[in-house]
Amino acid sequence: MDEVLAYIAELVAFAIIIFFVVRYIVPPARKAMRAQQETIKAQIERAEQTEKRLAVAEAKYADAVVEARQEAAKIRDNARADAQRIVEEMRVQADREVERIRVRGEEELANRRQHLMRELHAYLGQRSVEVADRLVGEHLADAGARSATVDRFLDELDAMSARDEAAERSLVASKGES
Amino acid sequence: MTTQNLAASQIEVGQHLFRFELFGMTFNGDTLLASAVAAAVLIVLAFVLRAKITSGVPGGVQLFFETVTGAARTQVENLIGLKVAPFVLPLSMALFLYILIANWLAVLPVQIGGHDIIPPPASDTNFTYALALLVFVWYHVAGARRRGAGKHLVQLAKGHVSALAPLNLVEELSKPISLSLRLFGNVFGGTIMVSLIMGMFPAYILWAPNVVWKLFDLFVGLIQAFIFALLTILYFSQSMELEEDHH
Repeated sequence: MDEVLAYIAELVAFAIIIFFVVRYIVPPARKAMRAQQETIKAQIERAEQTEKRLAVAEAKYADAVVEARQEAAKIRDNARADAQRIVEEMRVQADREVERIRVRGEEELANRRQHLMRELHAYLGQRSVEVADRLVGEHLADAGARSATVDRFLDELDAMSARDEAAERSLVASKGES
Repeated sequence: MTTQNLAASQIEVGQHLFRFELFGMTFNGDTLLASAVAAAVLIVLAFVLRAKITSGVPGGVQLFFETVTGAARTQVENLIGLKVAPFVLPLSMALFLYILIANWLAVLPVQIGGHDIIPPPASDTNFTYALALLVFVWYHVAGARRRGAGKHLVQLAKGHVSALAPLNLVEELSKPISLSLRLFGNVFGGTIMVSLIMGMFPAYILWAPNVVWKLFDLFVGLIQAFIFALLTILYFSQSMELEEDHH
């Protein structure tokens, strides 16, 4: 009987111990546990947020790279078009210049030629007068030749006047007839 | 006064339930049962942990294991170095948890005819001898592996100062004895106290000192488990340190 009572007392003690543990040890332990869990949860959330931010930043970066590439391509195309245009303009300009220079050259050439011809005319005229002068002089220096010349000149004059008379006559005749 | 003496004389030391003989050896059945129960509890906890383990927000069991692992890891890292003896971490953790659960069995009032069916196994020297022997053999093997068998023995005798070689040998022999008997003494003392209280006080009053003592015994059980695990790490550290480590 004593043993049974003692055992019951021990069961009571055990119940009290359970109560004590539940009342005084479990709550702070649970609190610490909750705090730890909260901390971990917060850390996980922060990590997830960071990961998300990283993903966003990476996407943004990729976008920026694509955009920059497009921009670069556009700039390159523009530059190529510009270059093409400039080359075209330069070519036209050069052609125009060439034409201008050619025309001016031709003009110059024509001027030169004219000038040269004029000079040549003058020179040749002078030379031929000189030569004629000398020839005439030489010829006249010889008496015979001089008289021959005079005679021939006179003959020529005669011939010329005869011809003039005939012409005059025919002119009068034709007038009278009319 | 006479009743108290009577009560004290009724206390039986070294009595075990379910004792049986096999292969010429004596087996203390209650100790075997209790150590098996403690092992089962720990294994179930471990399987629960494995089933519910998560890299997200941990549950209670996982937090408990993580706390213990963290503390043990710190000790091993500080005293030996995790890279030097990684196996000491699970060993010390297992010892701590196993001894803790085994010691806390003392609080359960599971009795037949005034005898505990599952007494704290550490109140039987066979249990503590086994644990201490495991640690003793293991740390010597680990030391011999790290330093070489011959050098390990020399180091063991020499210690830090050659002149103290005899003391070092005594210390080495006392290690397993103190390791096992410290645990045994504390836990066995607890059971004696419970028996004394049971014998000394009438039933209507004995619950009060019983509560006080058992609560204290829970604390003692925790401390003893911690000390056992810590000393295990310490012994490994002593037997695995290299001479070159001291400049």
